[in-house]
Amino acid sequence: MASKKMLCSEWEPINPMEYKGIWVYVEVEGGHIHEASLQLLGEARRIADELDTYVGAVIIGYGIKELAREPIYYGADKVFVVDDPRLEKYYPNLYGDVVCKLAKKHKPEALLVGGTMRGRELAPYIANNLKTGITADLTSIEVDKETGDIILIRPPFGAWMLAHIKTRNRRPVMGSVRPNIFPTPERNEDRDGEVIEETIDEVLDPRMEYLEYTPIEKAEEIPIEKADIIVSGGKGLGSKEGFKLLEELAELLGGVIAGSRKAVDAGWIPHDRQVGQTGKTVKPNIYFAVGISGAAQHIFGIREAKRVVAINIDPDAPIFENADYGIVGDYKEIIPALIEVIKEMKMKKSGSAKN
Amino acid sequence: MPLDIIVGIKWVPNTTAVNIDPKTGTLIREGIPSVVNPHDLTAVEMALKLKDKYGGSVTAISMAPPSALAGLEHVIGMGVDRGILASDRAFAGADTLATSYVLAKVIEKIGRFDLVIMGHETIDSSTAHIGAQVASWLNLPYVYYVVDAVLEDDGNTLEVTRILENAYEKYRIRLPAVISIAMHTFNPRRVRLSEKLRAKMEKPIEIWSIKDLEIDPNCAGLRGSPTVVSGIDFVPKVPRKNEVFQGSDPKEAARWLLSKLIEEGLLDL
Ligand SMILES: Cc1cc2nc3c(=O)[nH]c(=O)nc-3n(C[C@H](O)[C@H](O)[C@H](O)COP(=O)(O)OP(=O)(O)OC[C@H]3O[C@@H](n4cnc5c(N)ncnc54)[C@H](O)[C@@H]3O)c2cc1C
Ligand SMILES: Cc1cc2nc3c(=O)[nH]c(=O)nc-3n(C[C@H](O)[C@H](O)[C@H](O)COP(=O)(O)OP(=O)(O)OC[C@H]3O[C@@H](n4cnc5c(N)ncnc54)[C@H](O)[C@@H]3O)c2cc1C
Repeated sequence: MASKKMLCSEWEPINPMEYKGIWVYVEVEGGHIHEASLQLLGEARRIADELDTYVGAVIIGYGIKELAREPIYYGADKVFVVDDPRLEKYYPNLYGDVVCKLAKKHKPEALLVGGTMRGRELAPYIANNLKTGITADLTSIEVDKETGDIILIRPPFGAWMLAHIKTRNRRPVMGSVRPNIFPTPERNEDRDGEVIEETIDEVLDPRMEYLEYTPIEKAEEIPIEKADIIVSGGKGLGSKEGFKLLEELAELLGGVIAGSRKAVDAGWIPHDRQVGQTGKTVKPNIYFAVGISGAAQHIFGIREAKRVVAINIDPDAPIFENADYGIVGDYKEIIPALIEVIKEMKMKKSGSAKN
Repeated sequence: MPLDIIVGIKWVPNTTAVNIDPKTGTLIREGIPSVVNPHDLTAVEMALKLKDKYGGSVTAISMAPPSALAGLEHVIGMGVDRGILASDRAFAGADTLATSYVLAKVIEKIGRFDLVIMGHETIDSSTAHIGAQVASWLNLPYVYYVVDAVLEDDGNTLEVTRILENAYEKYRIRLPAVISIAMHTFNPRRVRLSEKLRAKMEKPIEIWSIKDLEIDPNCAGLRGSPTVVSGIDFVPKVPRKNEVFQGSDPKEAARWLLSKLIEEGLLDL
């Protein structure tokens, strides 16, 4: 066949037609299934129904058997479990190798991995071992109505456009998905499914040793993806000091602070507070974008905000086209004015409550 | 116990200079200068720190068009010993599988190395695939998001600390291995003019083609890439009210905004 001649000599020939089922790699951390994996089960269910196939979940580790039915409650038909003392500790190459062995045996059409930090480390290794393509940080999935091909969609470079990505002749189609791109499906204990216990004869020698796990003590802050009010700052703040003002406003409103990628890159705010395509998707009632220009990758992260408020010195900044309420001006004047007026209103209220 | 280190650097458009055409919504690419991916300079810094401590060598590799020579000169200016540019028309249009294959072949051809260091991710496509894929091609152990690495006395194991969302983890990893460095871990050192001059004089940069690397053309570039862009869509725009305060008094602006939000029941003050 002509197509065989074209194949990279490093790739094992496969027959894509043999590949069936939409798989989700289920990440377990500290005895719990990661929320990002549950969210993928919901989306996998939708795609599987469209393609008239099954949803498979893969759980590997040690002492994880009691979690095996969980994926079924969130949409899986089959759960492939490897419960093995050799998998007690997570090593990316070892875990990757085990998932590849299961994929080679059962031939899924697609494999989705939650884009946690470990997931983003693991997924490309699996894809590469299988010599298949992988799309990073996809934001939606479609099925080509004519061909039945799975299309993974991700926002491309710099523009307001989305790239539709197909995987030619290689399976599984693979993608990683950041947390909170898809909603968590409702847990339903009445759902039925099958748990398949797999054993692995030989596992890869990871050539690594796990030494230590030290949790990072974080201040009791509300994570931005759960906040109702977010005051977010960008490069326009000009310095780390600028965030102090935003913090004061956020505190008055019972909200939290966040930032753009440029604010994160400048070291003004930690990466876990970055909003956008390579940060987090947020869903507050009010999102204040202060000194943020409104790049597509940033706007992507606030598409589910109920109201967006823009404060920017440049009346032509694209953020105004993506905001409900805009104020043109220097944030160093606008934010203190807001703080002052809010304080006045609060005083009046407590004053009138006393009367 | 010296360490021979290879660092991957990508030549990327400087996105801080990127503008979007407000009319068409597309990227204005003309005249955008390229730079070494900033997170790769962090990786270079880590490599140089390890070399300062243990001795050895640092080789920077890049798959890119010839213009990326300037990027290799830049890192040589920082103190990198040698640069290798994998450059060939046949490498164009590569997805991460094909890119990592070429880089793995470059590393194989270099032959002697203890450690491969990558950046956290690039600023242009940000997949963070390449480190894991190179490890897979070369069948090496790997770990991402490293913030610290110490060579153990035996000279062939590295103790690495890496950062996750909520924790630090420590691994002992046998060399040769691949690691990626968490973004912003170090400030990259400055380019020294004397080093940059050395780059010009001694020409420690080589360019390797697909022939030099003996790569099957079906494994590189577009042909070696299973993923293809099959279509482009516009991001659906979320409808917004687009009301802008008309006036210049900050306190009036504040009152206007707050009354809107209170009216909608979103704030209770
Ligand atoms: C693959 C990829 C992924 C990305 N992912 C993300 C992401 O997840 N999140 C993200 O945010 N970005 C992301 N980006 C970067 C994005 O393209 C923009 O570069 C970034 O969002 C710009 O940040 P900014 O708005 O803070 O800075 P700028 O674009 O520099 O804007 C600063 C704004 O501040 C205003 N300003 C200046 N001074 C003042 C003042 N005194 N008062 C009020 N306003 C003032 C200016 O008018 C300007 O509009 C990504 C880019 C790529 C290529
Ligand atoms: C908008 C956009 C989206 C894309 N999405 C995908 C996708 O989802 N899947 C896919 O397979 N391809 C994708 N590509 C193609 C991909 O950008 C290229 O394959 C690219 O060569 C490597 O990927 P990266 O920039 O994401 O590198 P990353 O994996 O983010 O890079 C990690 C590290 O690897 C090293 N490195 C990366 N590239 C090189 C290089 N050329 N030379 C030397 N060292 C390097 C650096 O140290 C870097 O810090 C996309 C391209 C664009 C423009």
